[in-house]
Amino acid sequence: MVQDLIFATLETLYMTLVSALFAILLGIPLGIALYMLSKSEKKSSKTLYSVLDWVVNIFRSIPFIILIILIIPLTRLLTGTIIGSTAAIVPLSIAAIPFMARLAENSFNNLSQGLWDTAVSMGMTNWQFISKVLLPETAPEMVANITLLIINLITYTAIAGAVGAGGLGAMAINYGYQRFRMDVLIYDVIILVLLTQVIQFAGTKISNSLRK
Amino acid sequence: MLEIKDLNLIYEDNYHVLKDINFKVEDGEIVGIIGLSGAGKTSLLRTLNLLQVPTSGKILLDGVDLTSLEKEELRKIRKKISIVFQHFNLLSSRTVFQNVALPLEIEGLLKKEIEDKVNKMLESMNLIPRKDAYPSQLSGGEKQRTAIARALISNPDIILFDEPTSSLDPKTTQKILDLILEINQSTKKSILIVTHEMDVIKKICDKVVYLKNGYVDFMGPVHEFFIEKETELNDEFYQEINIDWNSIWQMVKDKNQKLLKIVFWGSKTHEPVLYDVAKKYDVSVNILYGKIEHLKENPYGTMIVAIRSENSHVEKFLQELSKNVYKVEVLN
Repeated sequence: MVQDLIFATLETLYMTLVSALFAILLGIPLGIALYMLSKSEKKSSKTLYSVLDWVVNIFRSIPFIILIILIIPLTRLLTGTIIGSTAAIVPLSIAAIPFMARLAENSFNNLSQGLWDTAVSMGMTNWQFISKVLLPETAPEMVANITLLIINLITYTAIAGAVGAGGLGAMAINYGYQRFRMDVLIYDVIILVLLTQVIQFAGTKISNSLRK
Repeated sequence: MLEIKDLNLIYEDNYHVLKDINFKVEDGEIVGIIGLSGAGKTSLLRTLNLLQVPTSGKILLDGVDLTSLEKEELRKIRKKISIVFQHFNLLSSRTVFQNVALPLEIEGLLKKEIEDKVNKMLESMNLIPRKDAYPSQLSGGEKQRTAIARALISNPDIILFDEPTSSLDPKTTQKILDLILEINQSTKKSILIVTHEMDVIKKICDKVVYLKNGYVDFMGPVHEFFIEKETELNDEFYQEINIDWNSIWQMVKDKNQKLLKIVFWGSKTHEPVLYDVAKKYDVSVNILYGKIEHLKENPYGTMIVAIRSENSHVEKFLQELSKNVYKVEVLN
């Protein structure tokens, strides 16, 4: 059982961290795109913003368990299967990317208009603004966002576990719910709580160390 | 030279913020834009480098109309106009050194070159001891000096200051004003200052643009501004040193007395002009009110006096006095 718990923990971490990585790599650029489009005065940008905004909202509004089912064809196409941890990474990432994008956009929006004005009046290009102002100035908040994302993903892996993804969630359901093994259920929950605490603690530490 | 021609700004809700604004900032001049809150000062400043695009009108920098430029050309010309923002807008993630280096990084200068230039600039701004501090660790005056250093480092043609002293204490204000004056004198750069503080205009400006409800109410040399607009300015900007006219009128009930307002400006302010002329024509002078201030380096004084003379020399007295002071006004 101990071995099972360790294996389930590793599976949960694997699903969480890989999908978090996808969410960071794709979600933050999407957030940047949303922010820059909303700042642009061109009409085409405003239209594109509305479209992206709408797409992000749609993915954010579908309950995760339904999303898993909806994108089964895509999951099969990308991983060749629909069960197991690797397969679960597909719906997890697809749910996490728009979530990350929205969190990033919110942080960018909190940046003062003054900094935008400063950048424009200095004659910065968009890329210079993104790399020298936008990302460094929001770094502490972005770390807090990523922490929130990872903790949310842990919860999502449990939901994915209900439909064959493996990990701590699946183990809790298999042992605790179906075989009435209360002890396993409790160990399972303790590990989840510890994981969340450790990630939150580390996230807060890093975020604070970036605040100047 | 910066020239503003027929500038209008109307917001989307039809609010007419700036109305037919015209003025010039000649090379090397310090021009102050003054007005009460809501007069359109900040909107005007924001239109000058097109942070806010005006509805109509021209903004000419050395003859090039900014409003006609393509995006890429505009981006380049903006580097010739530096702004020191009211809230400084320093990057919190960068040290003083890195903040000042930012405009040079954008230029794509080599690291070594940036280091030399920034260190030199920090030296002249007395910021070397604070070069590795982050903005959150700086005092208001230090933040302001960092912002000024950042504005100067790109060697602009003109520097715009938005309320440069509004968040500083009186002592720091004085230091920053001295610094702005020094920059103007040593670099010969044009400076445009938006402010609601009369002291800023008095202490460092050559010319003033008085903005009222979105239009230019007065534009010209500072001393003329104070002379022409005195009553209005007293009402709107500093009521505490208003002249108590009631008691003055009480004192000159006698019909033989004339009440004069004498305005001095320039070097003659310190000469005993009034005494000399009064003695010559045997006119008795009773001083009811007087003050002397300094407009940049020039003294500027106002005096209210009652004169009495039994003989007919009064007219000649007035004539000669008029020749020796800036302006004489008979009030009764």
